[in-house]
Amino acid sequence: MSALRQHAEQLFAHELDELKKADTRQRPTNWNLSPWAVSTYLLGGKLDNGFEVSAKYIGNRRVIEIAVATLATDRALLLYGVPGTAKSWVSEHLAAGISGDSTRLIQGTAGTSEEQMRYGWNYALLLSKGPSKEALVPSPLMKAMSDGRIARVEELTRIPADVQDTLITILSEKTLPIPELSSEVQANRGFNVIATANNRDKGVNELSSALKRRFNTVILPVPATEEEEIAIVSKRVAEMGKSLELPAEPPALKEVRRIVQVFRELRDGITADGKTKLKQPTGTMSTAEAISVLNSGIALAAHFGDGTLRAGDVAAGLVGAVIKDPVQDAVVWKEYLETVVKERDEWKDLYRVCREVI
Amino acid sequence: MTHLFGIRHHGPGCARSLVRALEELSPDCVLIEGPPEAEAVLAAAVHTEIEPPVALLLYCPDDTKKASFYPFAEFSPEWQAIRFGLQRNVPVRFMDLPQAHDLALRDAEVSAPLSEEADSPDEVAEDDISGDPLDWLGRAAGYGDGETWWNQMVEERRDSESAGLFAAIQEAMTSVRAEIPRKRAPEAQHRENLREAHMRKTIRQAEKDGFQRIAVVCGAWHVPALATMPSAKSDNDLLKGLPKVKVAATWAPWTYGRLAAASGYGAGVLSPGWYEFLWRNQAAEASQRSIAWISKVARLMREEDIDCSSAHVIEAARLSDALAAMRERPAAGLDEINESIRAIICMGDDAPLRLVRSRLIIGEKLGRVPPDVPTVPLQQDLEKQQRSLRLKPEALAKDLDLDLRNENDLSRSHLLHRLRLLGLKWGEVKGTGRSAKGTFHEVWQLQWQPEFAVSIIEASRWGHTIADAATALAIDHAEKATSLPELSALVDRVLLANLPHAVEPVTHALENLAAIAGDASQLLEAIPPLANIFRYGNVRQTDASLVGHVLDGLVTRACISLGGACASLDDDAAAAMRKRILATHQAIKLIGKDTHLADWMPALGRLAVLAGTHGLVSGMASRLLFDEQTEDADATEQRMSQALSIGNDPSPAAAWLEGFLHQSGMILLHDDRLWRILDTWLASLSDDNFTRILPLIRRTFSQFPGTERTQLGARAKYSGSTTSAPTAIATEFEWNETRALKPLPVLEQILGL
Repeated sequence: MSALRQHAEQLFAHELDELKKADTRQRPTNWNLSPWAVSTYLLGGKLDNGFEVSAKYIGNRRVIEIAVATLATDRALLLYGVPGTAKSWVSEHLAAGISGDSTRLIQGTAGTSEEQMRYGWNYALLLSKGPSKEALVPSPLMKAMSDGRIARVEELTRIPADVQDTLITILSEKTLPIPELSSEVQANRGFNVIATANNRDKGVNELSSALKRRFNTVILPVPATEEEEIAIVSKRVAEMGKSLELPAEPPALKEVRRIVQVFRELRDGITADGKTKLKQPTGTMSTAEAISVLNSGIALAAHFGDGTLRAGDVAAGLVGAVIKDPVQDAVVWKEYLETVVKERDEWKDLYRVCREVI
Repeated sequence: MTHLFGIRHHGPGCARSLVRALEELSPDCVLIEGPPEAEAVLAAAVHTEIEPPVALLLYCPDDTKKASFYPFAEFSPEWQAIRFGLQRNVPVRFMDLPQAHDLALRDAEVSAPLSEEADSPDEVAEDDISGDPLDWLGRAAGYGDGETWWNQMVEERRDSESAGLFAAIQEAMTSVRAEIPRKRAPEAQHRENLREAHMRKTIRQAEKDGFQRIAVVCGAWHVPALATMPSAKSDNDLLKGLPKVKVAATWAPWTYGRLAAASGYGAGVLSPGWYEFLWRNQAAEASQRSIAWISKVARLMREEDIDCSSAHVIEAARLSDALAAMRERPAAGLDEINESIRAIICMGDDAPLRLVRSRLIIGEKLGRVPPDVPTVPLQQDLEKQQRSLRLKPEALAKDLDLDLRNENDLSRSHLLHRLRLLGLKWGEVKGTGRSAKGTFHEVWQLQWQPEFAVSIIEASRWGHTIADAATALAIDHAEKATSLPELSALVDRVLLANLPHAVEPVTHALENLAAIAGDASQLLEAIPPLANIFRYGNVRQTDASLVGHVLDGLVTRACISLGGACASLDDDAAAAMRKRILATHQAIKLIGKDTHLADWMPALGRLAVLAGTHGLVSGMASRLLFDEQTEDADATEQRMSQALSIGNDPSPAAAWLEGFLHQSGMILLHDDRLWRILDTWLASLSDDNFTRILPLIRRTFSQFPGTERTQLGARAKYSGSTTSAPTAIATEFEWNETRALKPLPVLEQILGL
């Protein structure tokens, strides 16, 4: 397989198999695993036969439990949070765990149309034979309904409001009418929708309260503690390094810790020791960005350096992640460099290279 | 035969099992972990008018700082045990270490600070977190913390078979006590030994008295220590020669907020409101129970204008059941319910959940104590007044708008002011609403705190009625006061509280102090509050004439010493003085006595010319003189050109202008005369002079906000005779007297004159 990025169910096929074997609990109709096994799949744990399931989500256990329980009650799930808090990641793995398939996906954009949500037509067939079942091109959502599987809608709030509302019938009546054929598709048991939306962007299409009421909302928080965030970052960096076949060594914990600290301090607007207030940059400084900074650093180290991650390799990525607005953020970053980074003795190398980059 | 029942304080599940166990056992004697001194007032627990949460208050009458509270809620096992015994005429005894010793020991423990923790009879939760035995057990069972585990296993279960439960608790605690040595201070350990020794002693006594079936109700932690009895002699030796103080016992109302651990109270439970709900609904099916609770939440949400439909309730109940099933729990507990409420009703938001937490999970219930419970006379007087004035103590903060023309409201205001004098801050004045509703209104925020029970006892040494106590306290304060503003504020408070007997001594003290006070700023500060009383006192039907002659003396002395007080001030002192003089000026105008003004205006006049005075003060004085028309425009203009002339240093000159304009440019826009003076003066400057003076003016004007400056510029552009004309005409208006008089009666009515 040479796919750049494998789907969750391919990458973790082995774990899903083992879980399936070990899982003796009751499964809702058309679910591959029991709710308990799904949450174990996401949160990690040791099975009775000694098999170790890796953690996909590091953080509050309750968040995942509510998400799984919601899907088991046939209510739709809305994952909400700032960018980079693993919304899509959780959604993909939930779909993989429950349905064994995370590919029934609708990407929400400002241009998402009703056809993409419901169904389109094969116009050649439509013109030659008139409306018929064969001429119908079902959307991923429609396929999920008839298969009794999980469908995913990414960035729900980016979809125009009138298109969003097509979801209302699907979620409450669990049916999708096809007036052209005077028929309908009824959802089979096991069908459900996981939607994600970020609450950082203003001016997007806020959900109507009728639609909101059909979702259970789960807010994914930013990592609560520094340790948690370091765990997430080092784990993801190692995984991605493997899948990108980077020859460099996995980064030293020290470097990860430093990057995570920079991100946390700028995000919270206060230094880790709580002594100095900082200005916050306009970007979100999410965990996902910290991961990509380290990844690009590793790539740099592997291809242009000696394979060991050093301050110089992460500097460019770091500055790029912080400075999203060339005027405002540059001021914030310079201030941070001069007042915080410079003062820390063991951060001298980082300070020097960052000065060069600006 | 002695039966031990280890409970968790304030646990509804424990209480339910205990009641059932007691019914099965039908004991002939009930021993409860509690202070023996309280046995005398115990009968009130079955009084028809008592309403938990209440607390047994034990205090030392000689030193009210030494006091302990033993709170009980309706769902407290001890409370149920007390009532069980009293209703069936079974002797109920308290077996804890007598507070007479405990309070005395606290004195001895100099090193250990008096903490709420030490007051509590609770053993299970009082220790540091790492040592909480519940946490150890909870963690051993795979739960995050002890609270969740205990709720799950004991408080929220429905089928508890009572005998088995208590045997299990005893076993668990025995192994915890054996396995985990508690890390605690030696004093605390000693105290625990004493308490357990006394418990054993009481049990022995009960056995000796010939009781056959003795039920012992105590904190689970103590059970192992009571199960194995050491020799009577060793316990007696331990208890010998303990220090002792005098102790009195009574009941006091308590609140759920105080019961909750969230407020830092050691014996607390996290969710009293939820526990009460569990206790009330013990017979209900588990699924019915969560639906009932979510409906309560829904009702609260609707009251607070948060959308919450029946569909929300249905979905939340379903989700909480699904969550419970996933976590392999028999029924949805508080955690599951809260999480589903957050996901469904609150849209993932935490804020509404905080509301649920404070209003329902903790709850704001305030208990009630029957009127015939023995209390200090002051307490009885307070209750009598509360009843006659219809002011109910409530735990929830509430606003109260008093119309002082109404007799009942006036008395309420008096009571609240008296209580504040006594240190009971039941009410907080949020504003007299003078600007909005006239001087007749007083807006209070009321919130009753359970600690007031102690404050009342503390205040009772001042007298037996609220009025007497407040009077005595005020007189005492007056005698000890050393500064004038403090005293004049006290006079104000005494008059507000309507304490006629205190007015005379307090004003007397004020006069005495004023006679020897040389500090002009103190004199100045004392005037405004007194002027307030003088002017508005009669609205409150207080005798304000008493302060009249004090004021006369104060004003005269202030006028004389004003000049000296304003000499050689630095910038900060000048700013403070400016404030004081302005306040005093307003106060003197408020009093409206010609004799005062006759002294005051010349004093200001002296300030305006005094060479050593700070520019800010002297500029302000010139302005006041101008405003009061003591000096005409020509004289003021002359002062201005003097102050701003080139011989002066720039900074005092700028300060003068600042003081003159009251640090605001707005006045120039609206006051035409002032504008003209400045304009005339400016126009009279020669070109050279103007160039030299410009930086000064610029310095003052640059402090004004940009919009003001723009407006000033616009005004200057169109100035001249045209803008000043309207005001000039207005003053020379020819009034039609008869028509002008017509609206006056209506205006009088509106203003309530």
